[in-house]
Amino acid sequence: MKETGLIMSDISDTQNQSDSHSRDKTQSTHSTGVADKGRWSTQRIAIYALFVALAMAASFIEFPIMPGVPWLKYDLSGIICLVAGFAFGPMAAFIVSVLSWIPHLFMNPWGAIMSIAVSVFLSVPAAMIYKRMRTRVGALVGILVGVVFGLIAAIGGNLLITPIYAHMTTVQVLKMVIPILLPFNLIKFAIHGVVTFLIYKPISNLLNR
Amino acid sequence: MTAVDHPYADAKPSEPQSNEGLASAYLPGQASGKARIHQKDTDSSQETSTANAGHPSDTNGFAAQLSGIRFSYDGGKSWALNGIDLDIRVGERICLVGPNGSGKSTLARLVAGLAAPDDGSVILLGFNVFSSGTPHSDLYRKARRDIGAVFQNPADQIITTVVGDDVAFGPENLALDPKTITSRVDESLDAVDMKDFLLDDPSRMSGGQQQRIAIAGILAMHPKMIVLDEPTAMLDLEAQHDVLQVLDRLQQSGTTIVHVTHRPEELKAADRILSLENGKSIELSQTQAALKLSVTNADDTGMLKPDGVIIDENPGIPNSSVEKKPNHHKPIISKDSSTADLQKPSAQSDDSRSHQIRNQNKASQKPANGDPQHSTGEPAISFEHVSFRYPKSDIDTLHDFSMRVEQGEVVAIMGRNGTGKSTLTRLMTALSKPGSGTIKVAGIDLGSMSKRDKKTLRSSVGLVMQQPERQLFAETVRQDVAYGPSNQDLPQEAVDQRVDRALALLGISGLAERSPFSLSGGQQRLAAIAGIIACDPRILVLDEPTAGLDATASERIYALVRTLNAHGVTIVMITHSPRQARQLADRIITLGGPVQNDSGNSLNNGTGDDGNRNTCSRKTSQTGESARDGNATSGPLSRKHLPSREDPKTARQPSIIARLDPRMKLVVFLVLMFTSFMVSSLPQLGLTALMVIVLAAAAKLGPKRLFRSMRGFLILLLVMGVINMLFVRTGKPLVTFWNFPITDEGVMAAILYTCRFGLVILLGIILLQTTTPTALTDGFGSLLSPLRRFGLHTQELALVMSLALRFLPTLADEARNIIDAQAARGGSIETGSPAKRIKALVAIVVPIFAGALRHSDNVSLALDAQSYEEGIHRTHWHAMRISGKDIVFVILCALYLAVLLSLKTGILSVVRL
Repeated sequence: MKETGLIMSDISDTQNQSDSHSRDKTQSTHSTGVADKGRWSTQRIAIYALFVALAMAASFIEFPIMPGVPWLKYDLSGIICLVAGFAFGPMAAFIVSVLSWIPHLFMNPWGAIMSIAVSVFLSVPAAMIYKRMRTRVGALVGILVGVVFGLIAAIGGNLLITPIYAHMTTVQVLKMVIPILLPFNLIKFAIHGVVTFLIYKPISNLLNR
Repeated sequence: MTAVDHPYADAKPSEPQSNEGLASAYLPGQASGKARIHQKDTDSSQETSTANAGHPSDTNGFAAQLSGIRFSYDGGKSWALNGIDLDIRVGERICLVGPNGSGKSTLARLVAGLAAPDDGSVILLGFNVFSSGTPHSDLYRKARRDIGAVFQNPADQIITTVVGDDVAFGPENLALDPKTITSRVDESLDAVDMKDFLLDDPSRMSGGQQQRIAIAGILAMHPKMIVLDEPTAMLDLEAQHDVLQVLDRLQQSGTTIVHVTHRPEELKAADRILSLENGKSIELSQTQAALKLSVTNADDTGMLKPDGVIIDENPGIPNSSVEKKPNHHKPIISKDSSTADLQKPSAQSDDSRSHQIRNQNKASQKPANGDPQHSTGEPAISFEHVSFRYPKSDIDTLHDFSMRVEQGEVVAIMGRNGTGKSTLTRLMTALSKPGSGTIKVAGIDLGSMSKRDKKTLRSSVGLVMQQPERQLFAETVRQDVAYGPSNQDLPQEAVDQRVDRALALLGISGLAERSPFSLSGGQQRLAAIAGIIACDPRILVLDEPTAGLDATASERIYALVRTLNAHGVTIVMITHSPRQARQLADRIITLGGPVQNDSGNSLNNGTGDDGNRNTCSRKTSQTGESARDGNATSGPLSRKHLPSREDPKTARQPSIIARLDPRMKLVVFLVLMFTSFMVSSLPQLGLTALMVIVLAAAAKLGPKRLFRSMRGFLILLLVMGVINMLFVRTGKPLVTFWNFPITDEGVMAAILYTCRFGLVILLGIILLQTTTPTALTDGFGSLLSPLRRFGLHTQELALVMSLALRFLPTLADEARNIIDAQAARGGSIETGSPAKRIKALVAIVVPIFAGALRHSDNVSLALDAQSYEEGIHRTHWHAMRISGKDIVFVILCALYLAVLLSLKTGILSVVRL
């Protein structure tokens, strides 16, 4: 695969030493120095906030993708967590994953916790790998590893949580893993992965404008 | 600044604490600023001590002194500012003018202390903030506390969802005590005439109101100098006046004002006018400046006044072939002279209350089409008795509206904000459906379209929405422009041909391989329009295509309209510029506007996104608008599942639940919600239901309100019930559907699982309905704060959360617009092959990200302008204190839990049902 030389700037790690680039404008040449290192600049706060808002908005737009299992719904928020992680590092992925599901805590508490777990397991490993391999291959490997972790979290979570919502035993849920849970999550993560992979070049153009 | 002639002084003389607030204004802020900020800048710490002698009182009569300023965005290849010297005296009102890209916004940021130059020296309010190539962060920080900044985009400066809390944000950052904050909030809202809106949601207000709230937020910090960067650029005329009035009062009070503007009428009150060009500044006299601006902004000068009269400022029409008919040429329109100049049957006003359709016969010579007015063929667009109302609105945006657009015609649609112009474009392109009436476009009845009709419509009608550049998504301009044609199943050659032609038509062939995000604003607009032209529409609908463009780019669009029309394309164009309408259109249709409520003290004073929501707020008839970028909206998508927040009226006498400490409430409610899942028998269910009912009553929430908030979840609950019923096979069968036996245990499980989940949702609704987002996020931050010692940025996380909640509806609405826009180019995620759907998804997701990043840039500036930084000592306007009622609440809930647990473990035996 072609090396694109893509560099998404990194403002994620709080104790970041040298690699904060153009995106963190308060650290740039025209900085007034008010936000010094080790603290979050207003730029970072604003970017996290907008990404959280995006992921929240996306998390409310859910739709079933597999016939027959209407309670398993697809939503796009995972893509935003992945992009946040690629663009701004694992910390951003974590924050966006967690905060974006907090409103759901007051509507569907167990479901929210599970969604947070799946999001974190998907996006944080992907971001960690991409941070070390800033290439298209790195992104691909990151996504694939993230998908594996995400699958584990999703299926494990379902085993624990489904009995709370439906009169089923864990064994009954276990029987659904192969016919229902695995294919659903595979489809879900496949869409996540493909879309993230496709939008990542144009978005990096945006970030490095 | 003296308290006597301060703008707030005209508030109410009987408010002693108002003056008190003024007097104590600067003291606590200064002290804490010094105490809390750690100095990391070793470079500047030495300078700091010496420069610190320049105490604010010691300004030599200058608010700002800049000399030899150079500023480059590209590391020195070109200079946005090249050797600027600028002295601003205390109390002066200065206007900065200059063409787009002349560096006036950059200079404004330097003066506001929000950015540092590359070279030169900057002294702000006596602080020597930048000298010998180094910024002195400590001094910058101090200067900033007394400098306010207001920016172009009103919505992005609103950072929370309650007006009072938003205004209080700055004073909180100055660590003022709650009492002072209260008086600051009151006096600043009073100064901008927004006092009645204290508890309203600013994100749903008009651009003008939002801008006044943003100004109030700055005033509440008692700045000595205010820097405003085109604060009226996105506002309509009336809102502009409101903002200028506030500025006049500030000027009288002695506040230094630096005002970046491009509107000639805003220069009049200036003490001095500076023009920036090629990185240099020249001082202009009033007359020179007025002349300069009216030349560069010829397109903006014709304006629609509030009373509906079009001011014809430039009667000389360049197009010499225009056939002039004196009585129709004078486009004076008044509300009651309705049918006099109606001469064509194609435009008719059926309901004079809501619509005034005028027809002004002008350039009717169309070389390509002969005389389109008398064409007997089918009209390109026809509306018959169409009414349209937005959901949640009590009035029709369009009422019994009829019109015809003949093939090959150019029709301009004009009218004030909120009269339904953009609605009209949505109806024409089948993005919205009318409540009643028939719409036919390109021979297709939009009321009864087949899938194929829809496809034909998409390929024959092009829609250029407001600010179409926000739909750009691809890696290159060429790919972006190709998106529409490639959705039409054309062979690759034909697509390429279309793309080349469209790029050539807009004169941007040279940009084909560039990333659209690297282009200037004007170039982006042209590229986005090319993307629609490439679909080869027979009918082109443009919504304010030249808004915000400079003369050169506007001229390209004029030429485009003429060329396309010469090729027979029918054009419907929304514009605010009478001059533009007269130059391009065969006919002008002026929309009158929706019926105003009796209480409507003024007409809609927002801008842009016309008529989208005419009745968002019950209290005012003027909140019906959003900011130009469609920011402040309450679209159906955004609020679908979110329980709507507390009604401002009930908030005035808050219930006992609403007055609980938010931290307590958060924790207790979460515990209640999680433990509700333990309910496993009918008596337990009864107990929990009782608890929820008691809480709802204590929260003063009626069953109707609760039900309304729950509506979104009903389907989910129903599905859950059915699944439970079908999954349980044990017990006595009651009925059998095909092979599925429904057993009594199944029914029981369905009832239990559905009801307990329903109760959990109700608990969540009670919590959200009785707690403002600010209180929630404050509580959230406070609960997290012990984690601070592990390096977690708790205060910042709370702010991130608060901002996210603020921008959630904004982004959802923008997303909806983008989805519509891409759908109009033939991209749909609902139909087609998986590859096509994913491609459509990409075309939607990328612009949404672009929008989020654009907002984040503005938000970060707004946070800076309000002196937010991490680690500062902030106060909270609503101090959180645990009181007796909180303790009682906790005890009662603990009692409930104890009973529930004992029911579960069987300690408390209850007769089994």
